[in-house]
Amino acid sequence: MSKSTGIPWLNDNAAILNFIHKLVDELDELQDQLMALNEGELLFSQGEPLEFMYLILEGNIQLTRTQPDDTEVALITLGPGSFAGLIAFTTGEPTLTSGRITTKGLALKMRPQQFEQYLNDHPRLKHPLQQLMLNNMILRYKSNLRLQTKTHLLSKELNKDRNNLKAAYKQLEETHQMLVHQEKMATLGELVAGFAHEVNNPASALMRSAENLVEIYTGFEDSDAAFKLFKFGLNSEPVDSSTLRKRMLDMEKKYPWIHERATIRKLAHMPDKALALINEFKKKGTLPDLVNHFEAGKMIQNIRIASRRIANLVKSLKSYSRQDQNKEQLADIREGINDTILVLSNRLKFVDLTLQLNEIPKTCVFVGDLNQVWTNIIVNACDAIEERGAISISTSYDDNLIKVKISDSGPGIPDEIMPHIFEPNFTTKNQGAKFGLGLGLAISNEIILQAGGSITAENRKQGGAEFTVTLPVRDDC
Amino acid sequence: MDEKIYILIVEDELEVMEALIKDLEKFESYFPVETANNVSEATEVIDYIIDHGHKIGLILCDHVLPGKNGVDLLIDMQNRPETMKSKKVLVTGQAGHEDTILAINKADLDHYIAKPWGQEELERVVVNELTDFVIANEKNLLPYMQILDAARLSDALRKNRMTDH
Repeated sequence: MSKSTGIPWLNDNAAILNFIHKLVDELDELQDQLMALNEGELLFSQGEPLEFMYLILEGNIQLTRTQPDDTEVALITLGPGSFAGLIAFTTGEPTLTSGRITTKGLALKMRPQQFEQYLNDHPRLKHPLQQLMLNNMILRYKSNLRLQTKTHLLSKELNKDRNNLKAAYKQLEETHQMLVHQEKMATLGELVAGFAHEVNNPASALMRSAENLVEIYTGFEDSDAAFKLFKFGLNSEPVDSSTLRKRMLDMEKKYPWIHERATIRKLAHMPDKALALINEFKKKGTLPDLVNHFEAGKMIQNIRIASRRIANLVKSLKSYSRQDQNKEQLADIREGINDTILVLSNRLKFVDLTLQLNEIPKTCVFVGDLNQVWTNIIVNACDAIEERGAISISTSYDDNLIKVKISDSGPGIPDEIMPHIFEPNFTTKNQGAKFGLGLGLAISNEIILQAGGSITAENRKQGGAEFTVTLPVRDDC
Repeated sequence: MDEKIYILIVEDELEVMEALIKDLEKFESYFPVETANNVSEATEVIDYIIDHGHKIGLILCDHVLPGKNGVDLLIDMQNRPETMKSKKVLVTGQAGHEDTILAINKADLDHYIAKPWGQEELERVVVNELTDFVIANEKNLLPYMQILDAARLSDALRKNRMTDH
């Protein structure tokens, strides 16, 4: 019951209905307008013009509306004292709803003209009907308000849900990409480990053969001079081309009777002690032989150097791609950094690399994962300096925390992208041919967070970017 | 022959340089070999050779070098009249597609040798390129009969005589 300034009893639907019932009993022409409401019957359909308006005396009519997508929504159930078709009736427009009888009962059915007539003929009916209509309108208005509020709330909720869904989907997408990337890295790691293993055999064979060759060769040497020259060759250092040019000029002056440039060049490779031997032992026509003893030593030395290089690369490749990624182990982080540097030696070939790997305690880490972090940061640094510049890497230990700093002499990270660099899919590389897919730093961040550490980036005052990885020291693995 | 035709090798790894020199030894009595470990040194050597009235018949150049890379050097040579006609060969396992295309288009690259190379392949390329070079640039082809492609040199000699008469 609403508190209105209207006449109290008029506000009471029941009282008004009683009054109307009484009138119906009294007035014959109203009797004719009574109609029975049969449960389940459709009284009117949405979109039709309405010829009648119904005042429900007993029973219920449910108003429904068919949505554009053909679903039917129940709007309101009207009971005794309510008008059905009131709006269409008042405006003369097609009805906005369908009316179906849900509880049998009785209604007063009126045409618009009749309604006017009643109001004029029966002043006593006028007030209650008007009041009823007003009540109806108030009721509808209230329900409309409620509906609006509800709709607003619902759409707010819906928006929230939609945003949550969007976020969840994005997260899922990112996680998926990361997983795929991790999987790729793992596969690559396995392949690399297998490859390293395979290359290891020929590398070992090379190294051993070079050493055996030295022994066999020394057995062949038929003179002391030849053997010594071979030894000199074996211990010779490679000479760079500008030094070689200078020495060749010296040799041309020293041996004016030698016209073969190739021989002059070979002599230019020799240390003074070897040259002294040559001068001492050369008889006519033996010079090329003597020189060749030195050459043989030098070549075996080249095989030694080259095979040792391959062996070292293989070693670091093997430990870099360690397939123990699913197990934490107590490790010296610096070893992983060194392995990573060797594996990246191609990218770092002309980089001025400064290492300050100070003593740090061993800690529990996933070695393979950490190597991925160093790789990502160093490769980014290489990109930033375009392979020609400086990169420095340092380790320090303080207050149970290990800090690894990697800085470059590049242009630094632009302020506008700085907040986004650890986000998945953030990339400054527009060609997929590079090492990363724009997941590098996001994955690095993930790896370091899981290790209980943190990773930050800043631009240094002296220029270039600096990444700092902080890791807690643990020994619980 | 007071005017010499040089072979220039540009390679930063000393062991690789030594191997290349060794493989080209047989050419050296006809074509003196000069070496450089980087582009700026190579430029100095080129200047020196040109200033002394000699030519560069062939350059064997690594791509990945400290400082400027090999393809840049080849392009510089192509833009210089004295070295435009020099035969240009890239010896590398590392030039990317784009660099190689650039070298072909901008430096008129004559050949590409992938590391590790084989002695026979290297010799074949050097003989071919130098034969092209002397036919195009030298009046007297006879001295090269021993070391280069004799059949092609004879053909060229015959053609030259026809045009002389």
